[in-house]
Amino acid sequence: MIDLLTTKYNYIAAILLMAGGLYMVVGDRNLVKKVIGMNLFQTGIFLFFITTAFVEDGRPPVIQEGTETYVSPLPHVLILTAIVVGVSLTAVALTLIIRIYSEYGTLREDVITEMETDD
Amino acid sequence: MSERNTERRERPYTESSVIMSTVRVVAPFVFTYGLFVMFHGADSSGGGFQGGAIIAAMVLMLAFAFGIEPTRRWFKNTAIVLLATGGVLAFLFIGIGPLVLGGTFLEYEVYGFKKATKYGIEGVELGIGAVVASVISGLFFAIARGFEFTEGQL
Amino acid sequence: MTDAIVLAVVVPIFGAMLSLIAGLRFDRSGWAIAALTCLGQLATAGIILATVVRDGRQAYALAGFQPPAGIELVADGLSAPVVVLIAAVSLAVVVYARQAGPRGNAFYTVYLLLCGGLAGVALTGDIFNMYVFLEITGLAAYALVASGDSTRSAVAGLKYLVLGTIGASLFLLGAGYAYIATGTLNMVDLSEQLAAAGYDSRLVLGAFGLLVTGLLVKVALFPVHTWQPKAYSSAPDSVSVYISALVSTVAAYAVARVLFTVFTPAFFAANPVAQTALLYAAAVSIVAGSVLAILQRDLKRMLAYSSVSQFGMVVAGFALLSQSAAVGGVIHLIGHAVLKGGLFAAVGVVAAQTGARSVDEYAGLAGRAPLSAALVAVLGLSLVGVPPSVGFVGKFYIAVGAVEAGEWPIAVVIFVSTVLTLAYFARIIERMYFAHSSPDTAVEGGEDVAADGGGPPGSVAGDGDGVTPEMVAVVVVAAVVAVTLGFAGSAIESFLEPTLTEVFGR
Repeated sequence: MIDLLTTKYNYIAAILLMAGGLYMVVGDRNLVKKVIGMNLFQTGIFLFFITTAFVEDGRPPVIQEGTETYVSPLPHVLILTAIVVGVSLTAVALTLIIRIYSEYGTLREDVITEMETDD
Repeated sequence: MSERNTERRERPYTESSVIMSTVRVVAPFVFTYGLFVMFHGADSSGGGFQGGAIIAAMVLMLAFAFGIEPTRRWFKNTAIVLLATGGVLAFLFIGIGPLVLGGTFLEYEVYGFKKATKYGIEGVELGIGAVVASVISGLFFAIARGFEFTEGQL
Repeated sequence: MTDAIVLAVVVPIFGAMLSLIAGLRFDRSGWAIAALTCLGQLATAGIILATVVRDGRQAYALAGFQPPAGIELVADGLSAPVVVLIAAVSLAVVVYARQAGPRGNAFYTVYLLLCGGLAGVALTGDIFNMYVFLEITGLAAYALVASGDSTRSAVAGLKYLVLGTIGASLFLLGAGYAYIATGTLNMVDLSEQLAAAGYDSRLVLGAFGLLVTGLLVKVALFPVHTWQPKAYSSAPDSVSVYISALVSTVAAYAVARVLFTVFTPAFFAANPVAQTALLYAAAVSIVAGSVLAILQRDLKRMLAYSSVSQFGMVVAGFALLSQSAAVGGVIHLIGHAVLKGGLFAAVGVVAAQTGARSVDEYAGLAGRAPLSAALVAVLGLSLVGVPPSVGFVGKFYIAVGAVEAGEWPIAVVIFVSTVLTLAYFARIIERMYFAHSSPDTAVEGGEDVAADGGGPPGSVAGDGDGVTPEMVAVVVVAAVVAVTLGFAGSAIESFLEPTLTEVFGR
């Protein structure tokens, strides 16, 4: 157990981030906190990916004399793309939240559901 | 509801000479660094996304130092749209070129001049950087302005 | 000309950029640009289909890098019909949205981006590329759903966004597990490497679970369907048509891709639990969707829950892993897209003509708007599965496949769901034809000339209350296609045979 904590702490952190993010999306009533939770969930996934891309004694993937193991740049590029996707999703979500706030005046989803059924 | 809107929009803007002079000095360097990162996508770390984000950060920095409204009037909406579409169109045209010349999409080799791959990748990264920078700045200005909404305009 | 494969993705994106630039100067050019782009897209899709019919599976390596190192686009018997469906529905909705839909270049820009993203999902042969295109599709769909007039659309769009993103992130995690297990991202290569990594390895099982779960969120199967009713009912009418016809359809196609190409039937032979779980999930969704649909009074919400049920049938068809069930799945996929899009378009036409949106308000519709009522009836009966329409053919093949594979419960569930579907459509038809419209079925928010759609067909544009002949023509075309596709069942089966024998080895 201690061994797990001292060597594989990255994975534990990734799992905690994913779990925390998912809990925020489901359990929180404030819309902005839901979006934050979504971001946290995605960050956990990115951390997980990058951890698995670690190569011991690997050098950056630019050809140099005398190196044998290079790190594959593929996972890093995948995560870069996923980060950009996450940024644009957050931007669209925040735009929608501002529009909802300017109309309903509240950010709590239970109040919004009530106001919608009254509509 | 609309009174609340106008109230919120008249946020007090305090001029701080420290921030303004610092930003005035630092901004060109940030912009140069962003371009540097954009140009180096092919052979080393860097590339369009990162460089574009740095340049957008520079625009945001200017907005915080000098006020969002003046910055928005300087970085006009037309310029934002043209940069964004120009970037995507640059990517598409650099990609379609090899198609016309007989290769496959984005096959830079077909272009024929020396080191075509390197220059092709750098051209695409510049396009991507332009898109990222303009979209992030545009989104910042749109969110900061708040909302008057008509159907179909998001 | 296999360059058409790339052009199917490039042309809509190019059109989107043109629309955005033109919006700076010419405010009303969006519709023309979108129409031209969709025509080009239809031509490209036709070329792809013709090439596949003539020469079989076409693979296109981007940038000249051969797989497994490079990204490739693949058009085969499974993806070519989906691309044609995407192009045809895009064109139809553009025609429909000229009068009905939101206007403005921003709308058409996002619309064309969605079209390009959908074509990308349908044509890609690389699993991470599929994630990227799924996210492009999702982003454009969230923005389109939120583009309605009221803030209700924004709330529905936000809910769709959060749920869809979680689903796509699960898909990303699954793709990551598959990459970790094998080191490759190309789908065909993945199938070989996953077999080499061992189908009982936890990485592979985890990858399967995450990939399929992520996609099922996008397909909106029960119980992760909760974004769908609000999104479909709060979106503008033309957006409802487009999204209901295409977005979940393409996600279901992606499920088929993952099941057939990445995890071949050999995986399920080694892990029967996986197949059972998927079949149970699909069966629950079939029944739950139909039951929930009966409880609805608003027509668009009813159609949304009906989609949950129909996609359960499609996923069951794919999960049965027999050739006839897979053919049924594909036929029902395409048929349901045409039917559901046509139904939403018909509902939009009725709402524009008479303002009726709920089942009670549909009372006596046959007197007020006979052509629209007839179209709703025809499309509804096709969805129930009255022969010879395409709804019947798809379900028949799936049921035959279920019986062949020995999974009797699925056939029973399909029959039960057909009866339930008949229940709610019969109620609508009864209201339309046999009930009298009374003064207290007052229309909410309709045009003030509410009652005079009752002239001879073709004069529906009469009092300028927002319905043009083009809108009605789109619905008529949908109904005609739905009925004639039913006759083409065996033609589609022989078209799909080369692709499916490769998967099922028979």
